Amino acid sequence: MTKGKTKLGHALAYVILILMSVIFLAPIFIVLFNSFKSKLYIASEPFRFPTAQTFAGLENYIGGLAKTDFFSAFGRSLFITVFSVAAIVLFTSMTAWYITRVKNKFTSFLYYAFVFSMIVPFQMVMFTMVKTANTLNLDNLWGIIVIYLGFGAGLSVFMFSGFVKSVPIEIEEAAMIDGCGPIRTFFLVVFPIMKPTAITVAILNAMWIWNDYLLPYLVIGTDYKTIPIAIQYLRGGYGSIDMGAMMAMLVLAIIPIVIFYLFCQKYIIKGVVAGAVKG
Amino acid sequence: MASITLKNVFKIYPDGFTAVNDLSLEIRDREFVVLVGPSGCGKSTTLRMIAGLEEISKGELYIGDRLVNRIAPKDRDIAMVFQSYALYPDKTVYKNISFGLERRKTPKDEIQKRVMQAAKILDIEHLLNRKPRALSGGQRQRVALGRAIVRSPSVFLFDEPLSNLDAKLRTAMRSEITKLHKNLDATFIYVTHDQTEAMTMGDRIVVMKDGVVQQVAKPQELYDAPCNMFVAGFIGSPQMNFIEAVLRNKNGRLYAAVNDEAIPLPKTEILKELPDGKRIVLGIRPESIITEKERFLQDEPVLCGKVDICELMGSEVFLYVDCKDTRLTVRAPSYSAPKADEEILFQLPKSRLHIFDAETETVIR
Amino acid sequence: MRNNLKKYYPVFVLPTTASFLIAFVFPFLAGIVLSFTKFTTVTNAKWVGFENYIKAFSNEDFLNALWFTVKFTIVSVITINIIAFALALLLTRSIKGTNLFRTVFFMPNLIGGIVLGYIWLLIINGVLQFFGVTITYDASYGFWGLVILTNWQLIGYMMIIYIAGIQNIPGDLIDAAKVDGAGFWGILRHVIIPMVMPSVTICLFLTITNSFKLFDANLALTDGAPGRETSMLALDIYKTFYARTGWQGVGQAKAVVFFIILAAIALLQLAITRRREVEA
Repeated sequence: MTKGKTKLGHALAYVILILMSVIFLAPIFIVLFNSFKSKLYIASEPFRFPTAQTFAGLENYIGGLAKTDFFSAFGRSLFITVFSVAAIVLFTSMTAWYITRVKNKFTSFLYYAFVFSMIVPFQMVMFTMVKTANTLNLDNLWGIIVIYLGFGAGLSVFMFSGFVKSVPIEIEEAAMIDGCGPIRTFFLVVFPIMKPTAITVAILNAMWIWNDYLLPYLVIGTDYKTIPIAIQYLRGGYGSIDMGAMMAMLVLAIIPIVIFYLFCQKYIIKGVVAGAVKG
Repeated sequence: MASITLKNVFKIYPDGFTAVNDLSLEIRDREFVVLVGPSGCGKSTTLRMIAGLEEISKGELYIGDRLVNRIAPKDRDIAMVFQSYALYPDKTVYKNISFGLERRKTPKDEIQKRVMQAAKILDIEHLLNRKPRALSGGQRQRVALGRAIVRSPSVFLFDEPLSNLDAKLRTAMRSEITKLHKNLDATFIYVTHDQTEAMTMGDRIVVMKDGVVQQVAKPQELYDAPCNMFVAGFIGSPQMNFIEAVLRNKNGRLYAAVNDEAIPLPKTEILKELPDGKRIVLGIRPESIITEKERFLQDEPVLCGKVDICELMGSEVFLYVDCKDTRLTVRAPSYSAPKADEEILFQLPKSRLHIFDAETETVIR
Repeated sequence: MRNNLKKYYPVFVLPTTASFLIAFVFPFLAGIVLSFTKFTTVTNAKWVGFENYIKAFSNEDFLNALWFTVKFTIVSVITINIIAFALALLLTRSIKGTNLFRTVFFMPNLIGGIVLGYIWLLIINGVLQFFGVTITYDASYGFWGLVILTNWQLIGYMMIIYIAGIQNIPGDLIDAAKVDGAGFWGILRHVIIPMVMPSVTICLFLTITNSFKLFDANLALTDGAPGRETSMLALDIYKTFYARTGWQGVGQAKAVVFFIILAAIALLQLAITRRREVEA
């Protein structure tokens, strides 16, 4: 293998990678600069930078915020995501520990039921789930947490169970001798050991719930919109869209994700790999 | 006060498997008792029942005068050291040691004092801020010990604590645990499959097999007077030799017929009562076989064999001697040792013979 | 003393199990039952046997959606996995800046389907206007639009999994192949590909199920237009439920079929690729 050949290979690799990066980043930049153009020019010349003539300042943002009540939507998305993820991590880890450590027919049935639920698509239970939620008065910001816990339990229990199986039971016995009952054993000893899996579970569920459109749309409706619902709502009847407001709201929707990603990148990528390998 | 009494204890699993079968044992306060046996003999299960980690299917367990069958592990005044150490991986060494005290609501300064004390005894003061994964096997072992001693319980339970260490470290830790026992006012129960550990550490040894106690005795007693072939074979290295034989008891002569040889037996009352032709097994320890001519006994026969393999151990040699169909292991001083393929003369002194019933495998005494 | 823990059932298992019953078990079972009935609300269900299934399979929209979904899944799965694997190969060479590239390629994965849909609606319509048309002019525009969008979203994710797989290959193995005289393609074919089969299993599973279930982006990008021609299964089922009164039973029957197809494909794929995995 000659040095020259390797060098050429590296140069070629860089060219391909840089080209791909441009392709991957371009859509976001196009949306970004279009969000500052007046709405008439967005559809007609989307690939041109704003000029003095087309520049609209923050007009789209002001109009969009008013139309969508974006900040309320943001708050609701945050509320639902944070509390649902917290509930999922807390309760499914407890359940996974219990059904892995207490072996009987009931727990193994439960385990297989959770695993089964992972391959069932949302549309299969969509209609009946929404009816159930309505009947039980779960069609609100608090109630949807219960729905997310129940529908997200499968993957999360499965992942936690896989981890619990690798924890030596002697550690829990040591905790018992050290004076812990089951609850302390779980919270003071087992849960801290499970932290890496908890992070993975939290990230996978957060990505799902933050971006979820259909479930909150059907369960809660449009009175209390989350971000995806607010954005979809900009498409009026007959498919007409206020492109100016749309661009501005897309930018606002992407910003928190990018910030979150840049701060937690290490955990997200690790979590996604761990989640995929176990799922 | 922490004597331990097991009365007719059974452990029967739901699938019907009996792991511990009718075990009765009295352990005195401050005694060091070793449970030893091959894997699956029920020794660990017994220990775990004493700890309260395993339910007792039948029988009674007392710690002191207290019946503890239904008492939770944490209220039994015990500490346990596990084979895998079972340290809390996310907690520092200090936290690992103090955890049990914190659960018992010990005042903070008291905890601090006792952790430091334990750390000092075990020489791990410099490790207190590390996490277990940053420790070597030996250091983890010490932390596990520290976690036990810091609570100063009246009973210490050890479940094969040294089996994950290398040979050198194992020897060092062995004497340290013995020392610990001397310094602490506590009862030690120690489970191992290693007979050397059992012999060197225990005040008394309990040999188990298939869930049944075979013999309970002091180390020397166990070595000198094993009650059956299993104990005789399990204790001692190299293993005791077993020779199948037929008892001859005619006209006042008492001997064992092995191949064509007649090996005289001690004239005990019990042996004299036994019928002629009974199948027996002779047991003799490798070091009891006499190979030096100047030590030969006048009134006993000299046997002959061929050395197959000769293992030099430095101060002594192990000879593997073929004598017709029987193979014997002989432990001899190295200065007088023959070489491989040489003939060897030896004696099996009758005073050192162990005689077992071939059917029941128990000793005939 | 596990019995001790056993008693704590209400604390450890009840919250999850109760929610699971409400959000999954009951809706799932009720869904199967309702697929054999005619209903508008759950309370007025009337048993109709297999009528809903017959209606579903004679429904033009459903068959069209099924075919569209299958085509879309095949094309996206192939393109995503090839591009992701190629990028993974580039990023596991010893060159600088791999982390930065990895960060860039993975980012779109975090953006949700609705937002993705409108980002690409702008761009695709922007390109198509040079030809004087929009994405809803022809079903093939919507098809390729969805393929590009899904590629953009999932390539980074799959790439990360392939990178993890390639990095797990013991260096000795590649060195051994080099000593044996294998070139780049030889190493790729005889060492790398066999060794990353576990990653292939995962990536195929994820791309197949994600493509098959695609809904949000479909809704945002084309909403099925023109007509119902670019409706995928999930969107078609949704519209059968909520945009056509009296057809809820048929919608539920379609959903059951959707579930069975998805489960069958996923399990079949896992069974096939698992067999090709080799031990390290």
